[in-house]
Amino acid sequence: MNRVPFGHLAAALLLSIVPAVASPAFGADDDQIARGKYLATASDCVACHTAPGGAAMAGGLPLATPVGPIIATNITPSKENGIGNYTLEQFDAALRRGVRADGKHLYPAMPYTAYAQLSDEDVAALYAYFMNEVTPVETSPAKTELPFPFNIRLSMAAWNLLFLDKGPFVPDPSQDDEWNRGAYLVRGAAHCGTCHTPRNLFMAENTSSEMAGGDVGPWHAPNITSDANSGIGGWSVEELVAYMRDGHTAKSQAAGPMAEAIDHSLRFLTDADLKAMAVYLKTVAAVRDKADSQPVFAWGSPSDELASIRGVGLPEDPEAMTGPQLYDAYCATCHQAQGQGSFMGGLPSLVHNTALGRENTNNLVMVILDGLRRQPEVLMPGFARELSDTQIATLGSYLVQHFGNPAAQVTQSQVAALRNGGSATSDLVTLARTALAVGVVAAIVLLGLIILALRRRKTKSITV
Amino acid sequence: MADTLSADFVVVGSGIIGSLVARKLALAGASVIILEAGPRVTRAELVARFRNSTRRSDWMSPYPSVEWAPHPIYQPEPNHHIVQAGPYPYAAEYIRQVGGTTWHWAAHAWRNVPNDFRIKSLYDVGVDWPFGYDDLEPFYQEAEELMGVSGADNTGSPRSQPFPMEPVAEPYAMRRLRERLASDYPVVSNTTARNSRVYDGRPACCGNNSCQPICPIDAQYHGGLSADAAEAAGAQLIPNANVYMLEHDEQGRIAAALYYDPDKASHRVTGKTFIVAANGIESPRLLLLSKSDKFPGGLANSSDMVGRNLMDHPSTSLTFDADEDVWLGRGPQSPSSINTMRDGAFRSEHSPYRLDFTNISRVDGATRSLIAAGVYGSELEKRLRYSAAREMNVKNVLEVLPDPERRITLSSETDSMGIPKPQAHYSIDDYTRKGHERSQQDFRRIAELMGGTNLRFSKEGEFANNQHICGTLSMGNDPKTSVCDQWGRAHDHENLFLAGTAVLPTSSTCNSTENGLAVALRSVAHILGQDGAAARGAATGEARA
Amino acid sequence: MKTDLTLFSRGADAADRPDANRRLLLFGLVSAYTASLVPWAMAQEATDADHGAFLAVSAILVGRQSLDAAHAGRLYAALSADDPEFPAAAKALLELIESRRIDPMQLQQILDDEQSPLKLVPWRIVTAWYMGIVGDGAKARCLAFETALNAEAVSDVLRPPTYAYGAYGSWTRKPT
Repeated sequence: MNRVPFGHLAAALLLSIVPAVASPAFGADDDQIARGKYLATASDCVACHTAPGGAAMAGGLPLATPVGPIIATNITPSKENGIGNYTLEQFDAALRRGVRADGKHLYPAMPYTAYAQLSDEDVAALYAYFMNEVTPVETSPAKTELPFPFNIRLSMAAWNLLFLDKGPFVPDPSQDDEWNRGAYLVRGAAHCGTCHTPRNLFMAENTSSEMAGGDVGPWHAPNITSDANSGIGGWSVEELVAYMRDGHTAKSQAAGPMAEAIDHSLRFLTDADLKAMAVYLKTVAAVRDKADSQPVFAWGSPSDELASIRGVGLPEDPEAMTGPQLYDAYCATCHQAQGQGSFMGGLPSLVHNTALGRENTNNLVMVILDGLRRQPEVLMPGFARELSDTQIATLGSYLVQHFGNPAAQVTQSQVAALRNGGSATSDLVTLARTALAVGVVAAIVLLGLIILALRRRKTKSITV
Repeated sequence: MADTLSADFVVVGSGIIGSLVARKLALAGASVIILEAGPRVTRAELVARFRNSTRRSDWMSPYPSVEWAPHPIYQPEPNHHIVQAGPYPYAAEYIRQVGGTTWHWAAHAWRNVPNDFRIKSLYDVGVDWPFGYDDLEPFYQEAEELMGVSGADNTGSPRSQPFPMEPVAEPYAMRRLRERLASDYPVVSNTTARNSRVYDGRPACCGNNSCQPICPIDAQYHGGLSADAAEAAGAQLIPNANVYMLEHDEQGRIAAALYYDPDKASHRVTGKTFIVAANGIESPRLLLLSKSDKFPGGLANSSDMVGRNLMDHPSTSLTFDADEDVWLGRGPQSPSSINTMRDGAFRSEHSPYRLDFTNISRVDGATRSLIAAGVYGSELEKRLRYSAAREMNVKNVLEVLPDPERRITLSSETDSMGIPKPQAHYSIDDYTRKGHERSQQDFRRIAELMGGTNLRFSKEGEFANNQHICGTLSMGNDPKTSVCDQWGRAHDHENLFLAGTAVLPTSSTCNSTENGLAVALRSVAHILGQDGAAARGAATGEARA
Repeated sequence: MKTDLTLFSRGADAADRPDANRRLLLFGLVSAYTASLVPWAMAQEATDADHGAFLAVSAILVGRQSLDAAHAGRLYAALSADDPEFPAAAKALLELIESRRIDPMQLQQILDDEQSPLKLVPWRIVTAWYMGIVGDGAKARCLAFETALNAEAVSDVLRPPTYAYGAYGSWTRKPT
């Protein structure tokens, strides 16, 4: 039993050193390039492979981990600095198997476990796009140099053996084309599960709980299974499409990493593709969180405690401000006195809003701290500078009591922790991926230790 | 600790102009201390105070005067901070707190029209400025980019660069004015420091209709943001530091600023250069207070011009009921105006003016009026809705000419800190009254075009004040008739600069903030040697015009 | 709190309350004239006759189709705190209106003409309800802003100042 992984490991090792076969001269037509561009958008390559203010796809964005940054690489077709020398097969290996042209393994901050689902045609289209239409950039970002043992990229091979699904996507003949298209996009290019599917001990997606929700840095990627209470079972297909396209519906407004995924990727997809994704998501096996005794978008009712604050001065000590006073001073202006939102919903209602209906209140705290930004608009300013941890805890409790699930809680220590984890960088996708990278690094260490232990045992068995 | 403070630049006043002057100096690498008489106040407190106010049409109600830095209060009881010497009362309002008076303003950020700089030459009234529109133009732009100004190009002030933002979306009521007045008047969007999109991390306007007394979302620029920016740039801001005296050395250079803390303990701050930016009343007050044997009339006052030429913008108005529902109160408070009477040959005869339309909700005022008139029962709601939907108001914004007899002096009365109060000598002269009279025909025509009924002209002989205090430290080329040169440097003191609306030689027809800020930014460029003129510390500048 | 009338409290339904039968209905406290002026208010409940008189005269003076019961209690307490004679004055005012069948629009004129000691009472009551303000000058205090009747009377079209009308540009639409 102990030997099985070693056999696989050896095989994987071998595989990675087999030199790639040179691809034939590549003739791409405009349609294929356009298809590749669309897929690159759907895959949100730009989110990680572009540094803030830097050239598109030229890499350089550091994904900070406690042991050092993982730096996104230049994936422009520069022959010197990018992937200009990659053959289609090499490109494919990186995309779907996490193996670079030099045979080294990628860290799964690169979501190749999802991209493994891509069809051969779509990989070829992406290749055509990258080689023909992305502008080569002749800069080379710093190399990722994690200290030992994290630099043993080989351990990823073992991880891959355990957790890398064999792709590509195989359509389910019992479902229609729309469903299959949606499943292909959700599981593949759009890699929704990267954030929304919980992870196991080894930080691999727990496929038995697909889309049941996961933590990405300080943010919580919520349950988007078909469950009527915890997930999106109570959403219409039209609402899901509107959310992915516009970033907001009456039920929910995208914030944090989801806002960035919409800004960079989802809003550019065709309505037909978004509809297909919605159709598929509505069939993902329902998973219910215990606290959700009713739909997370159905809590609360318009209410206020104005009678307790009108004619009453603010306390000398701002930390002593009451929930109604904090709401009055910082929130009511836009969300209105009873949380009902503005005329015709331009400024959202807090009542019947998923932001306040979940037991996990991290996203609520994060939005109060960092606000809600969508390109190019600041839809809600953050209050990290103006409000203390105590004030946010008081305010958050007022919000969930009045407009959300009263079983939910916001605590001062939670706010303090999220503030530290939440405002170090402004790039939210980075944060999300960082969490993943950290987890993977931890998993690698764990795997490394297991391998080491096994090797010792083996060594022992030989010498003894 | 505070007694050992010293810096390259000591700025008195943390308002929009003092703070942005300090910011620019700090960004250039200088050490800067800002002394602010009043306290720090947060936006949240101001919003809460307004909503709990019993005088919601009194925009000073969220800004109480503090004992250690009093400012004028008129309701519910006047505190007589400004002693009135007549003949016409000058009921100026301003705020002494970190960020100053632009915490509440309508955020009008107008440029002068070019002829405003030459009214003596062109119309034989007032004085010419020591420089022209073209000299100030780059600094208007700088001011507009700092504040985030939105506006339209058709208001008579040429530009070399586009506005930072498009005009703010036009409220329905203003659209109806523009459409129905089109035959006679072009109604244009105001030039305002209000966001029509995300700007500098601040959101676009959400139509809170409380620009005065407080924009609750910072879509409108204000001095509190300037003070934040100054501190972010490295300036040290000391609140609750009420400067009551500037000290000079044997050579007449300013050596130190003395301030009282709230317990009236005195502190001394030394510096190489001093910049007084404490507003059009408190700045001359401070110079007059800083008497010495060498300067018995106070500092910068060899001309006896400190405090003189007090100007503002008086207004008269017409309220009427339109023949359609327009519902003022949706969107910002002061969105649109008519600018055709800002300049013309008539300026030799009477005051020019702008015509400003209000979009302030009528609900509070109408409720008071109806209750006072004994309207009770179901009729009350009916009439309230009618007034809220139909009432409109237009006011003029009249130019006041510089006149040495209009002035701020020191009173024999003292304030709560034992410091002599400012005393106002003010009047409305025939030039301004004639402008008012001329505007009445516009008022009537506007009401007619809007199908107006129930015309209510403001009381004849009464002029509302607009709190655009200026002129009291006028700049000019002649040290006998002005307080400072075109760079704001006091004629009498090599290291004393004056910044703010007080240095403006004339009041023109536009709100004074942007003019004061642009002139101050020009002064800083000169101080830093960035204007191609002499570098800091070199000889006083001469007019380039 | 529970002894206050609640029929017009937001979301409350007095008929479902177990102690409803212990209460006085306004209908039993006023004349037919008052009932004809504000028929919609007749099902209001009061804890005692003075409070009932305040409610009835409030209903007549502000002419609104609903009054918040909890808020009525606060205003009554505040007005009574300022002037211990207020409950009696409100009752006297109601009796005056009923006995002489005075139209609310004529009321102030009559009180002023007759130099009535009650002439400030309607002003106080209407200011409390419509402006949310009780008391004069430095003693004035705010008991309501968003829920003052002058805000509620126009709440279909306007938000109280400091409350956002809506997303940027929403105010360009014709108000309906």
